[in-house]
Amino acid sequence: MKAVLRALFSDIGRILLCALLMSLSYLPPLRFAWYFDIIFRAMALLVIGIPVFYEAIRGILRRDLLDEKFLMSVASIGAFALGEPLEAVAVLAFFTIGEMFEHYAVRRSRDSIRSLMKIRPDTATILRDTEECEVDAEDVEPGDIMICRTGDRIATDGVIISGDGDLDCSMLSGESLPVSVTVGEEVQSGAVVLRGILKIRAIRIAEQSCAGRILELVESASERKSKEEAFITKFSRVYTPVVVILATILCLVLTIFRILPFGEAFRRALTFLVISCPCALVISVPMAFFGGIGASASQGILFKGGNVFSPLAKARTFIFDKTGTLTSGEFELVEAVCPTMERDAFLSLVASAEYASNHPLALAIKKAVPDVKAPDEATERAGYGVIATIDGACVAVGNRRMLDEYATTKAIGLPADTRGVLYAIRDGVLIGYLRVSDNIRDGAKRAFGDLRSLGAQRLAILSGDRKESVATVAEALGADTYLGELLPEDKYARLEEYIEGGERVVYVGDGINDTPSLARADVGVAMGGIGQDSALEVSDLSILTDDLTKLPTAVRIARKTITIAKQNIIFAIGIKALVLILGALGYATMWIAVFADVGVCILAILNAMRTLYTKKN
Amino acid sequence: MKFKFTVTGLDCPNCAAKLSSMIEADDSITACKINFLTEKVTVESELTEDAVREIVRLYAKKFSSKVVIE
Repeated sequence: MKAVLRALFSDIGRILLCALLMSLSYLPPLRFAWYFDIIFRAMALLVIGIPVFYEAIRGILRRDLLDEKFLMSVASIGAFALGEPLEAVAVLAFFTIGEMFEHYAVRRSRDSIRSLMKIRPDTATILRDTEECEVDAEDVEPGDIMICRTGDRIATDGVIISGDGDLDCSMLSGESLPVSVTVGEEVQSGAVVLRGILKIRAIRIAEQSCAGRILELVESASERKSKEEAFITKFSRVYTPVVVILATILCLVLTIFRILPFGEAFRRALTFLVISCPCALVISVPMAFFGGIGASASQGILFKGGNVFSPLAKARTFIFDKTGTLTSGEFELVEAVCPTMERDAFLSLVASAEYASNHPLALAIKKAVPDVKAPDEATERAGYGVIATIDGACVAVGNRRMLDEYATTKAIGLPADTRGVLYAIRDGVLIGYLRVSDNIRDGAKRAFGDLRSLGAQRLAILSGDRKESVATVAEALGADTYLGELLPEDKYARLEEYIEGGERVVYVGDGINDTPSLARADVGVAMGGIGQDSALEVSDLSILTDDLTKLPTAVRIARKTITIAKQNIIFAIGIKALVLILGALGYATMWIAVFADVGVCILAILNAMRTLYTKKN
Repeated sequence: MKFKFTVTGLDCPNCAAKLSSMIEADDSITACKINFLTEKVTVESELTEDAVREIVRLYAKKFSSKVVIE
């Protein structure tokens, strides 16, 4: 901070001194010699220009004649030689001021984006010879004892050796509820201690810890270039030489054809040199993507590279895996119908019959009853259900086959929709039925609605599960297409069909057996934690939580990022082209050119920061 | 081997690109990438970490007095 202030003051100091010298040079009472003003102006130029000239000389020593500082020096000294000292000084002064603002803007943006990515602390408190001391997180060695108190973030992975407490692991596993931990358990870096004082023995260095790996992933994401970034990099590579050549041609043509006197032609050419720096161009676009990566990282959405934004922004087809993605894989009792009994009594009777069964449907029923009583006797009949003896009555609970075989009379009518229905039969009489359904994750419905309003044309569910249960989920969520009983290779084939049909496909899965599909899709989205390393590797986008509404958020961020990147490209190139034309025609002075150049750069950076304020839902 | 250092004091991505191509041109360096936004320089080389850091520092110093490698 001190260094920053010092640099700022020295820049400001130089600008003030330069302004003073310049004004003195225009004061008539001080004119004691004819060369007075020239000397003062030269001094002003030197005061303001020294750092620039210094870098320019270094550039020459590197044989880099297209260095921005060198070109800027040529322009300024050229203007001075042409007898325009004010312009010469103004160019450098504006350049200095502009750079100050530019660096400030870059630093601020960089810091705010980084703070969003920060899931690992910089420091850790460790125990050294019974004394606590604070060290850099990077310096914690395996075997060190870390002390983490309420509110602390764990610096590296380790095992608890004393204390117990609750952890917030939402940035790591997506688990939104606090996780209780105690002695002997392994904890991961990035988790925040919500309650308790923990002594943790580090088992990994911070860099290789859980949060370290996520951080690495996020940081390296900005290295994978998007189409837009690649374009601007290529463009900027030719931009400077082209502008310098144009300047030369302009000067020569104007002079040789006697359109303008040499002095004026030269001055116009110098204007070109002032805006020959491609900085605004090369910073504006990557900054937009960096902003997008940071904004999403803070919400647990990890883009694997800048190249993911565009396909995600354009995608109109979203394919979902069902179990583990749209549904939690657990079943839930949604309906219990029995006209002759109280609901509680009916449920406890059924649960009692299912007492010994571990079938997922049985588990769902038992979960709905607080205290399940053991039956006198029970047998499970595979493919049918269970038959039990409870208080002397024969109770059968099972599917349609069970109903057909065991029920002689029906006390109630059958439901119109028989999906997920279990029948309860007592002594040959159908007394009621229950409906069990796949537990659709919170937010899945809203995610579908959001995607639809974002213009999704096909929301499809491809699942290995039974067709009926896929249909139930598809109907509940309003999917356009759904297919069940698919093997992983069938999913892949179906996916390929869509892609070959010209659709841009996003595939959302948990990565457990659908890695080929994740890899093949235009955008592969892995849901739910970083437990699956293979999924993390092949996916283009990882959502750390199970919250599906993060998907539309990611789409929104991607679209905003792309829009901003494009705006910045057009804006930066447009303003530069405009100033070049005005400069060639003699309407733009040099300092206007500097102003335009730096101004574009700062505005582009500010524009890029807009990604950080993308609406969440 | 791949090494990562922090680089601060670069003015713009253009300068970052110039410095990285300067470093890459060194015979003992296989590849060099500078990420201006994350301020990280990634260098691939057969040498030891300390030797690579020195080489990177040397070029940084040659490039501009403001650039610091850590």
